[in-house]
Amino acid sequence: MVETCRTRAALPVDTAPEPRSDHALMLAVRDGELDALGELFERHHGPLFGFLLKHTGQRTAAEDIAQTVFQRMLKYRHTYRDEGRFAAWMYHLARRCAADHFRKANAAPHATDPADLQDHADDAPDAGARAAVRDDHALLHTALARLDRDDREVLLLARFQELSFAEISGILECSVGAAKVRAHRALHALRTVYFKLQHTRSA
Amino acid sequence: MNCPTARALFPDLLDARTPAGAHADARAHLASCPECQREFSALSQTLAALDALPTPAPTPRLRTNFYAMLEEEKHSAASVRSPAPPLPGTRTAARFAWLLSPLAACALVALGFLAGARTAPTASPAGEDATARKFAQLEKQLGDMKKLMAISIIQQQQASPTNERLQEVLVAARTENASEKVLNDLLAALAFDPSANVRLRALEALYPHADHQAVRAGILATLPREQNPLVQLEMIDFVASAHDRAAAPALEKIAQNAAFDRSVRDAARRALAQL
Repeated sequence: MVETCRTRAALPVDTAPEPRSDHALMLAVRDGELDALGELFERHHGPLFGFLLKHTGQRTAAEDIAQTVFQRMLKYRHTYRDEGRFAAWMYHLARRCAADHFRKANAAPHATDPADLQDHADDAPDAGARAAVRDDHALLHTALARLDRDDREVLLLARFQELSFAEISGILECSVGAAKVRAHRALHALRTVYFKLQHTRSA
Repeated sequence: MNCPTARALFPDLLDARTPAGAHADARAHLASCPECQREFSALSQTLAALDALPTPAPTPRLRTNFYAMLEEEKHSAASVRSPAPPLPGTRTAARFAWLLSPLAACALVALGFLAGARTAPTASPAGEDATARKFAQLEKQLGDMKKLMAISIIQQQQASPTNERLQEVLVAARTENASEKVLNDLLAALAFDPSANVRLRALEALYPHADHQAVRAGILATLPREQNPLVQLEMIDFVASAHDRAAAPALEKIAQNAAFDRSVRDAARRALAQL
């Protein structure tokens, strides 16, 4: 698949009858054809938003970060490399933007962070916590929110984004082995929290 | 293989990227260990739940803001391509520019003086003709430059009202309890403004008023005339999110008309499904 995309990118873009690959579009953006970013937005903003929503747990924040990611693509388009893969670059930017968001959120007063409120509910289940876990999706959202931020990030990248571990390791700026270990540890952590919440609900 | 070693490999076994034949010893252990089977099943259930988690679509605000940002970038001076990095040789030359520039200027003055001193005594009618021709040429060049400047000034004058119109739309967007006049102004901007950026902003400003029948009808009337695919996409999103059933015939036409951009036709089809 990747190979097909790369071959396509090497063809003369104007004469290719099929849609241009992500990589070819981003190269065009880099070379001044800014409208090509519109096509990339249409292709990727949905999954990117989904990743950010699950990572932050906040709809508005996820939209703001997604917007910033595309803004940075424009700003740093000259740094896009010929041998790169677009999705890996996009999630690399998304990771940085999300980190900026969390830094700012940490500087804000603690009680306004909904994720923190959910964390407190874990130790002392009350009516609010029970309401939050009333269906499986809410249960899993709660479980994700309770994961360590790095664990959540690697798990979502590994599971939702169909990236290779080589690309994930590039995004996380670590070795392939380390990325795998982190993804495995994150899955075990999610399993523990998820089953604990299920147990609380059925109790 | 013992249980902890096998369990460490379970995430790998559950990963579609792992080759089918990998970790045969862990698979063999799993087949014979009920405890590990329970753990494997728990991990598998967790992943299934994770995969089943629905991903809601972002609000139309994300698309509107993105295209507004793209338009802005295209029109801003920053979108001019940044110059290529200088070659190593030119960088060295640039370092001595403070010294080279005055030297070059002095050399030019000296050359001019020498050339003048040599040519002045040999001035002839033929030389005067050449000077007159050069003078006429220079005058023509000056005239051309004046024309270019005039064109540039006219272009700037035409460009500045776009910003003013954008400001007007933004002010209208911030107006609480928008009157009928404000809504009409926004619809007029959407229908007639030559700038796609202004039209997109106008559409964004109309979102809170999607419950007005007149607003929906106005957008529906404008949709077939709109030429810009980005604005067309936004309008389709608008009527879809407003669940305006009256939009169905117009959307049908777009979905079947090959003259529209493919992404626009796809969006029309999606919107029809939503309606």
